[in-house]
Amino acid sequence: MEKFRNFCIIAHIDHGKSTLADRLLEKTGRVTQREMVTNQILDDNPLEQERGITIKLHAIQMEYAAKNGSRYTLNLIDTPGHVDFSYEVSRSLHACEGALLVVDATQGVEAQTISNLYMAIEQGLEIIPVINKIDLPSAVTTIENVKRQVIDLLGCKEEELILASAKAGIGIEDILEAVVDRIPPPKGDPNAPLRALIYDSIFDPYRGVVVNVRVFDGTMKEKDKILFMATGQTYELDEVGILYMKRHRTGVISAGDVGYFTAAIRRLQDTKVGDTVTIASNPCAAAIEGFREVKPMVFSGIYPADSDDFEDLREALGKLTLNDAAISFEPESSSALGFGFRCGFLGLLHMEIVQERLEREFNQTIVTTVPNVRYRVLRTNGEVLWVDNPAQLPSPGVITEIQEPFIKAQIIAPTEYVGTIMKLCIERRGTMLGTTYLSADRVDMSFDLPLAEVVFDFYDKLKSNTRGYASLDYEYSDYKAGDLVRLDILLNGEQVDALSSIVHRQKAHEWGKKLTSKLKELIPRQMFEVAIQAAIGSKIVARDSISAMRKNVLAKCYGGDISRKRKLIEKQKEGKKRMKQVGRVEIPQEAFLAVLSLDN
Amino acid sequence: MTGFYIHVPFCDKKCSYCDFYSIESVGLIERYVDTVIREIERRADTVPGPITSVFFGGGTPSLLSPLQLQRIIDTILRETRITSDAEWTMECNPGTVSLSSLTAYRSSGINRLSFGVQSIHADELTFLDRIHTADQAFEAVDLARRAGFDNVNVDVMFALPNQSAEKLSATLDQILRLEPDHVSAYSLIYEPGTPLYARMKKGLVVPESEEHDAELYALVIERLVSAGYEQYEVSNFSRNGATCRHNLTYWHGLPYVSVGPSAHGFVGDVRYWNLRSLTAWTEAVDKGELPEANRERLTQFDKIVELAFLTLRADGVPLSKFHRDYGIDVVAALGPQLGYWLDAEFVTLNAQTLRLTSKGYAVCDELTVKLVGAIESALLAS
Repeated sequence: MEKFRNFCIIAHIDHGKSTLADRLLEKTGRVTQREMVTNQILDDNPLEQERGITIKLHAIQMEYAAKNGSRYTLNLIDTPGHVDFSYEVSRSLHACEGALLVVDATQGVEAQTISNLYMAIEQGLEIIPVINKIDLPSAVTTIENVKRQVIDLLGCKEEELILASAKAGIGIEDILEAVVDRIPPPKGDPNAPLRALIYDSIFDPYRGVVVNVRVFDGTMKEKDKILFMATGQTYELDEVGILYMKRHRTGVISAGDVGYFTAAIRRLQDTKVGDTVTIASNPCAAAIEGFREVKPMVFSGIYPADSDDFEDLREALGKLTLNDAAISFEPESSSALGFGFRCGFLGLLHMEIVQERLEREFNQTIVTTVPNVRYRVLRTNGEVLWVDNPAQLPSPGVITEIQEPFIKAQIIAPTEYVGTIMKLCIERRGTMLGTTYLSADRVDMSFDLPLAEVVFDFYDKLKSNTRGYASLDYEYSDYKAGDLVRLDILLNGEQVDALSSIVHRQKAHEWGKKLTSKLKELIPRQMFEVAIQAAIGSKIVARDSISAMRKNVLAKCYGGDISRKRKLIEKQKEGKKRMKQVGRVEIPQEAFLAVLSLDN
Repeated sequence: MTGFYIHVPFCDKKCSYCDFYSIESVGLIERYVDTVIREIERRADTVPGPITSVFFGGGTPSLLSPLQLQRIIDTILRETRITSDAEWTMECNPGTVSLSSLTAYRSSGINRLSFGVQSIHADELTFLDRIHTADQAFEAVDLARRAGFDNVNVDVMFALPNQSAEKLSATLDQILRLEPDHVSAYSLIYEPGTPLYARMKKGLVVPESEEHDAELYALVIERLVSAGYEQYEVSNFSRNGATCRHNLTYWHGLPYVSVGPSAHGFVGDVRYWNLRSLTAWTEAVDKGELPEANRERLTQFDKIVELAFLTLRADGVPLSKFHRDYGIDVVAALGPQLGYWLDAEFVTLNAQTLRLTSKGYAVCDELTVKLVGAIESALLAS
């Protein structure tokens, strides 16, 4: 165990985490130059590569011959790079004894990095600061400042900073040496009762769930009967091994190891990230701390564009949850959209990923409704109701109070943007909790904000208002009462349930005005005039109208080319089929997401 | 009823808006005539019944010399069965005809002429790249009458950029003064691949708004109907029953054999289209092949759908035919939306026909998609 080192990389998007990981693998001979063709081996999902983020976790074992003459086994555990997945980050940090803190020499420290860093420090990890991208020409002017930031942040000495360029291959050996020298070897007793932490699991169609674990104490070998402590389920181990580039079966792993196992587990939901694995007949005394159930925070309706495809969509969602246990879905119906599902996600990014995967990997054509949070509604009869679909909010007469989830947001930005950020957060009903100056020109601000105000375009707004310099991190805090109302949309007098939203009373008018005018843009002319109204209860707060179609015919001579005309009609008919009908009004799918683009 | 179409792919000058196949190499006409004669010979036995209409379209068929035209007509008469009262139409550019050529066409058997007059305003004719003046157009129609033609069509275009109602009205006045038997009124369409389309993409031309286009279309219909013309298709108006029999074969789902580059034919269940380029088409015919680019066989489903949208845009959906031949009750298939259409005066309905009103013609494509959707649902249900 003395020769083992388990570590992860903490970095902001684009600060070079994946490139550094690739370089470490190359340097330790785990991958050859030739295998580097696709680059960025850790992010192997195409969506991850496109978005430059890590969604699923990976771990890779490397062998390193250090300068002291010994060979070391290094386990690099990858971490997701987005706030939606911060719980997963905390679990993967827990599987390590040390972390590389990678900071871009031209950008400095960002909010996401700081919150992950604090999490790592809390968990007692040894931090190795790495200033990356030192070869960029602009680093000359920024590097001293960035160094100072990191030193201030960690309270470390300048000599401890490693200057590197993953891209150019500078400093890679220094990093590996530091991993060996500074990160302590894992502790634990291979003979004690088994205590292993699940930090990730993936679904393999042939073997069932493949569970990635860090073993703290004890040993697990094939045929052992294991127990998941949080769920209480037991299984017999089929295959046990470690992770090189691919799974490598060893039959046994023990204290200090990072590895995987399979046990004919059918559902990903049965292997909860953060759960403790032990031996059923000889369980450990206590589970590893910090486990919690991951709960969806953002909800939206997902409907098949063609209502005939409902069952296909159900099947696709079912398959998707095989390798994404964080999605929840249950059937719901809407008068506008027919039968579909109310789905829950960890956050907006997670929602987008799910939507994209449904379209790309499962070939589904879907209509999604505007995302919303889950409200806690206190009824006059004392009941508590959870509402994750605005259309299901009871009438105001039977409601005592509506509560909404709040977050604690941390925003780091250059000091010149303090005013801009304050203004944005106050517009979004936020309260400032405090500010800390990280350096003379960088400030760390924290706010209490309703999650509902953040799920729309808050992040985009924050970025554009600060020319991309601000970074955001947040954690969920609690539910608080708010003066909230349901804003309905009526088309020619008929309520479109899928367009209802819950908004703050003081914002309802403005919201209604924006929404009606956006819908006017998005709904094509019909053969009759369409009145668009926004209403709170029976009170109309905004209105607009779409005038009737005047001309829609190609008054032209087709010669005898009827085939072309037929194809054109087929295409138009397909377009119509994708529209949803409320009363006689045909609504294109984009309209259901109108709220997301109100300011464009 | 069976039609026969000859595509003549030559123009002195190609119009900026036109997306029919045509080239300016008029020196190739003689060679084309030889080839088209061979294609007629080749296709003659595919003609399903006696021919009731022959149509020379283009391009500019009036670029054919009377002798060239005569050779083609002789071939048709020799190779096919054709009714004695068949309609023989020829499209003419007013800038390419004379009394002697028109007289010769008439004596060859052509009995209907179609003139592309388009507009009486010099600026509009220039914009469209027309090679004739308004006066030439009036003179051409006059010459046609003198040559003995009693069935003359005039094409007019509307929704030209910056075209005011007054300007269009003046064009319509002049055209009505010519007392044509038939008027085709087309709105300017920006077809991909045309020079006009390229100019629009560059922002050099701005299409008229839907409102203005609709106003002008309503003006066309109102003026022609009040002058005694009957609208029997989106763009077509006739007086004293002088409908274009050939075009009705298209809109009634009836067969037509077509020859010449890019020509489209419909025989039995098959729609075919010839090679578009003159060279490729000539080579294929020379090799003794059918000069087709492609063909498609229509299913019963396709045929029903086609009949629905073709008859809707023309003189009405024949309800009894749908019921008798295909077992479809169109009225029931449309369901409650037919009630809205009747209330909004988009259609009229009697025992035989569901027919568009002038207001309905303006939104024909919208209604077509709904009609086709309703008929498809009815077919799938049965």
